[in-house]
Amino acid sequence: MKYGFNLAWRLFKHEAKRGELTIILFAIILSVAAVLSLSLFSERLQGALTAKSAEFIAADRRLESDKPVDPAWISKAKELGLETTQQVYARSMVFGNEQMTLTSLRAADDGYPLKGELKTSTEAFGLGEVTAELPASGEAWAESLLLQKLGLKLGDKIEVGDKEFSLTRVITDVPDSGFSVFGGNPKVLIGLQDLAATHITGPGSRIDYTYFFVGNSSDLDDYYDWLRPQLNREIHSWQSVEDDDSRLGRSVGRAEQYFLLASLLAIVLAAVSIAVAAQRYSQRHYDPVAIMKTLGASKQLVQRIYLYQISFITVLGIVLGTVAGFIIQQLVVLAIADKVNVSIDVWHWRPLIIAVFTGMICAVLFSLYPLLKLFSVPPLRVLRRDLGAGMSSRVLQFAATGSAILLLMWAYSQDLKISLILFVSGIVLVCALLAITYGLIAVGRKLGQGKMGAWQLAWARIKRRAMDNSVQLISFSVTIMLLLVVLVMRNDMVSQWRDQLPQGTPNYFMSNITEQQRPALEQHFNQLEVKTDVFYPVVRARFVSINDEKIRTEITKEDETQQDSGRNGLGREANLTWSNTLQNENEIVAGKWLDEWQPGDEYGVSVEERLAARLNIKLDDKLTFNIGSEVITVTVTSLRSVNWQTMQPNFFFVLQPEAMQEYLPTYITSFYVPTDDKAKIAQLMQPFSSVTLFDVDARINQLRDIVDQVSVAVEFILVLVLIAGSLVLIAQVQASMDERQQELAILRTLGAKGSLIRASVIYEFLIIGSVAGLMAAFANEFTLYLLQSQIFEMQGKLHFEYWIIAPLVGAITVGLLGAAGCWRLLALNTSQLLRKMV
Amino acid sequence: MTSTPNVMIETKQITKVVSTSEGELQILQPISFKVKAGESVAIIGASGSGKSTLLSLLAGLDQVTDGEIYLAGSPLHSLDEEQRARLRGEKVGFIFQSFMLVQSLTALENIMLPAEIAGLDNAKQLGQEILEQVGLAHRGNHYPNQLSGGEQQRVAIARAFITKPKILFADEPTGNLDSANSEKVESLLFELNRDSDTTLVLVTHDPVLAKQCQRQLNMQGGVLTEVTSDPQDTQPDQQQQAS
Repeated sequence: MKYGFNLAWRLFKHEAKRGELTIILFAIILSVAAVLSLSLFSERLQGALTAKSAEFIAADRRLESDKPVDPAWISKAKELGLETTQQVYARSMVFGNEQMTLTSLRAADDGYPLKGELKTSTEAFGLGEVTAELPASGEAWAESLLLQKLGLKLGDKIEVGDKEFSLTRVITDVPDSGFSVFGGNPKVLIGLQDLAATHITGPGSRIDYTYFFVGNSSDLDDYYDWLRPQLNREIHSWQSVEDDDSRLGRSVGRAEQYFLLASLLAIVLAAVSIAVAAQRYSQRHYDPVAIMKTLGASKQLVQRIYLYQISFITVLGIVLGTVAGFIIQQLVVLAIADKVNVSIDVWHWRPLIIAVFTGMICAVLFSLYPLLKLFSVPPLRVLRRDLGAGMSSRVLQFAATGSAILLLMWAYSQDLKISLILFVSGIVLVCALLAITYGLIAVGRKLGQGKMGAWQLAWARIKRRAMDNSVQLISFSVTIMLLLVVLVMRNDMVSQWRDQLPQGTPNYFMSNITEQQRPALEQHFNQLEVKTDVFYPVVRARFVSINDEKIRTEITKEDETQQDSGRNGLGREANLTWSNTLQNENEIVAGKWLDEWQPGDEYGVSVEERLAARLNIKLDDKLTFNIGSEVITVTVTSLRSVNWQTMQPNFFFVLQPEAMQEYLPTYITSFYVPTDDKAKIAQLMQPFSSVTLFDVDARINQLRDIVDQVSVAVEFILVLVLIAGSLVLIAQVQASMDERQQELAILRTLGAKGSLIRASVIYEFLIIGSVAGLMAAFANEFTLYLLQSQIFEMQGKLHFEYWIIAPLVGAITVGLLGAAGCWRLLALNTSQLLRKMV
Repeated sequence: MTSTPNVMIETKQITKVVSTSEGELQILQPISFKVKAGESVAIIGASGSGKSTLLSLLAGLDQVTDGEIYLAGSPLHSLDEEQRARLRGEKVGFIFQSFMLVQSLTALENIMLPAEIAGLDNAKQLGQEILEQVGLAHRGNHYPNQLSGGEQQRVAIARAFITKPKILFADEPTGNLDSANSEKVESLLFELNRDSDTTLVLVTHDPVLAKQCQRQLNMQGGVLTEVTSDPQDTQPDQQQQAS
């Protein structure tokens, strides 16, 4: 035992000193560093993004309830170290200036908001400033919309239920106000202590109680575990940032998937590099093993020596990799500090554990087969140098390596689907590559005939080492493919984000524009150089019946989620619009979009699919609306899916224009004014006091801010993976260069010119690189299609440009790396070269 | 059947057949001979005649197709790989044409290797002593590729003798060396062989080296014959089947 250890340690020391272990050590360092830096960075980033997203629910978690909850629930939360507060929501009429309007009343307790910022201003549509206060007793704060609707100014009195309040500030931004274009009814904020005096919370009133919780995630999880059995699904709803189905939630969710993908790919890259390195390492030790066996070493002793060695290398690799990974991650965080506020003080253990685990698993699993081969080297090799290892089943090796990679990905992501997608793509790529390698070799056989030039030498080499080359080709292709997937995925994702919120996205919406006002308004806006968007005609109607059956359900989206609550709380009132063209982000899911209308035809209507499902509306149903005293009946010709996340007005019912010719509509439109020009709003709106203005500027800015941060983070992850991938490529070329050493030495000895040798090696790598690039481009399409359609819920598309770019870049990169490696060898003189071979 | 006393190596009708793409190929015809303890034997013959194959069988590096081999009394033909390795570790030393030093170990460590494998506690001391004997005490910390061919072979000889093996197999020990180095290596080899009373089996195609052995066996097309003395010298008719 002792001798095995001593010998292993001695071999390890010398080999480390002489750089013999560089390749495998480097591969382990790389895998640990890549996995650690990527997962640590993404964990920290996710922490930062979650914190940011938490602002949108004003807490880390919240509990919504139709009734006040048992005070013991709150005590328990406090007992677990959570910070809590609460808010009561009510839809309530507010009276002021001898008028009244429906408002969304919020009575907030001290501490609100636990996350995010409340902003107020001292004038309507003014620029808000952060406040840490809440309305004092007897005071109320309200959104500009209320002031506009009721013609109020600060200092005026308003009545909510039985209590009078003094209007002291204008609310410009509430963190948890959702993402709807139309904020719905204007918000009014009062202190919770004043709520009772309003007497609006009596029986029959519609009240929501929301409890906010902030704390570290394990405490929150503990609390939820305690709370869950007591929750009643009909009354209670528990929300976390992750449940957020808003555009922001989905962006963050996608970014998280991307980080996961990038980390998974880093693991695969690491595995590939370790597999390549371990194979090389094993081959280099055939002679020592044969010598030791000849000198009487038992198989057990040989096994012990090399298992010790692998352990030494693994431990060293993990230590160095951890240090390197930590430094890389720290540098990245510092580099993007001004764009994304990622805290570097928080230490996460999970990435370290994953990285160490990955390093160990990779080192053990991927060196297992090469080591088994090494152990089987016969002693007779000392006399017959051509004898290699006894085992030769590559299929077994591929199967073992493949399943190890799959298991590793699965263990890490805990997502079988994403792991399987990557794995299946890998298998398809490997099979295709094996077929292609042999095909190319057959073609090369014809091309390679004739005078021995550089091309012929290159082909001859590729031909002779068909199997070795196919392994090399596979590792190059997999590496390039993984890089392509990460690159293209990022491009598609970031461009989609940016497309959703391009610069100049309308940040103000107007409604209640009358037919008479419209030309004057357009002219006024033109004069002030503000461009208005499409004017959507709207007629208020009352939805009466479906196929003569009376409607009872309210057409409101409040039943769905709180996020959506403000979107269209119209009771049985519905906004009807009409158009010949389908709006953006609307898609027909059943029936046909409105046809050209012919006299005598029935009037058509297109209905939003979720509403249709809720009210059980089907194609060809007849819907009846009351508009004033008139009755209009239309036939359902299509159902539409609507992306409610778009910053545009959306409608449940879109009618045939001809059906609505007799009705006088009001219009809804939107426009964009840069945040800095906010002062212009008063000037714009001044002549049109009856027009209602919705300000979503703060929302859009928040959204864009997050999307930008996520994009920056994704870019950096991309850079990290690109660096990791390039290093793997270098390691692969280095490893294969060693294999070429002997041949170079012989050619050199025979007097071949350096230029011929160099050219032949470069050509060989150019061929391998371009084939690998081409195959990677195909495999990339396949993988991306699966990933985008199955995981990222994005529309897949082909990326033809990469079919040209990938082979070109593959050829150039691999060719250059080959040239560099070759240059290193050719810099040695022939005798040094021959000596290196010994 | 067992081996004869005082005989270090004994073969009985051993053959070696290998499979090739063109069918089976018999490399060695049935061979029977004995080597006494302390004897030095040279196996000579042209390249491809089968002499290295015979050496690999005698040393237990490969297995016979048929027949029996006894090495220091142990029936090699019926031992498995592990048992043969143990036997080699205990009784056999090797010298190869291509030196076969472990490139990542120093000269001294290479020499210590068999002693360490055999579990000797004083491997380092033994190594240093024998390194001095081969005249390379000052080169102990050098790696093989920092040594000349002659020096590497002297390290290999030292390695072969460190465990004081009963039998030494040498495969073309001077094949890779110039004449000056060859001479040095030859004299060192025979000197150590005499001092430690080792049985020497040497494969070579160098008649000068072969002549220094007590016996010479000639291998030709897989057939081994005994040459009592140089055929071109005095007794051309005394060539006979080795026995």
